[in-house]
Amino acid sequence: MWRAVSGARRLLRPLGAAAGGTPRAVPPPPRAPPGPRGGCAAAGAGAGAGALEAAAERHQAADTVLQKFNIDFVVALLRQENAKDICVIQPPPEIKYCDYFIIVSGSSTRHLHAMAQYMLKMYKHLKEESDPHTQIEGKETDDWMCIDFGNIVVHFMLPEAREVYELEKLWTLGPYDDQLTQMTPQSLPEDFIFGLTANSSDHLETRT
Amino acid sequence: MALLNRRLVLSLTHLSSAVLQRQFSTTGACRAIQKLTRVRVVDNSALGNTSYHRPPKCIHVYNKTGVGKVGDKILLAIKGEKKKALIVGHKMPGPTMTPRFDSNNVVLIEDNGNPIGTRIKTPIPYILRRKEGEFSKVLAIARNFV
Repeated sequence: MWRAVSGARRLLRPLGAAAGGTPRAVPPPPRAPPGPRGGCAAAGAGAGAGALEAAAERHQAADTVLQKFNIDFVVALLRQENAKDICVIQPPPEIKYCDYFIIVSGSSTRHLHAMAQYMLKMYKHLKEESDPHTQIEGKETDDWMCIDFGNIVVHFMLPEAREVYELEKLWTLGPYDDQLTQMTPQSLPEDFIFGLTANSSDHLETRT
Repeated sequence: MALLNRRLVLSLTHLSSAVLQRQFSTTGACRAIQKLTRVRVVDNSALGNTSYHRPPKCIHVYNKTGVGKVGDKILLAIKGEKKKALIVGHKMPGPTMTPRFDSNNVVLIEDNGNPIGTRIKTPIPYILRRKEGEFSKVLAIARNFV
């Protein structure tokens, strides 16, 4: 699975050891390999190891609180909070959004609030002063909350909202997502005018 | 952007004739999005994609100045009803090294911040992430980033 990088600091401990310890009743989360196709496990493992090594090297370069607040810690916290259907996705590095995208279900609104606030509290406890502040987004909603920790993004949703948005499908399937293909092809509005800029260096000059 | 390749070819060949035939004068974008700006809804919500005889227009910008830039919430009048929306791109050039779009793009959201649509096909700028505000949900349903 994951290899120790450069011996001195092991940033990513193998998740297999942690997962093997606790048998999970929920279906195992799809560990999507970085790549546009969520392909077969064999190809996925090979590509995953290479990309994870690259990810670990990037972690080394970027310092942050995430020495302690890394993906294993977050998943352990979520399990401790009785979160259902933990889904950890690693988007391909071309999408420079985050390293890990976590989606979690809760049993009620109160449960989502409690999980989000506990996660935030642990982050604040572990972070240094130089690390950016984080807030819980969606406190007024009752079905979808999320926290952006920089390289990890956690979404807390109710199962109904999860069915509607299907974020797992979007982030693993990429351009082959079925909701995307079902979207009607976007057409430009009738009053759209192309080539009009106030920029004088643009060679498409407008003349009235 | 990628959508406009066809239009680009057409306009390059027929540019002079198209400009001379136009009966009105137009200026480039002076202010980004303000009241009565016609906007383009880029998500796959039913409200944004069904056609209506009037284009969706901004009727209020939730900002100290009345000008909305990327990341600002506005109030739209769509199909005879009022909906809040988030600006994800405008025609006016912004700070250097930020993308400028060829249309004023907007994503419909509810009052509590949840997006109404479930997918966004057009590219979304990364600067939304740095801004103060609740943008992670819109970024989660986006497909392409710019």
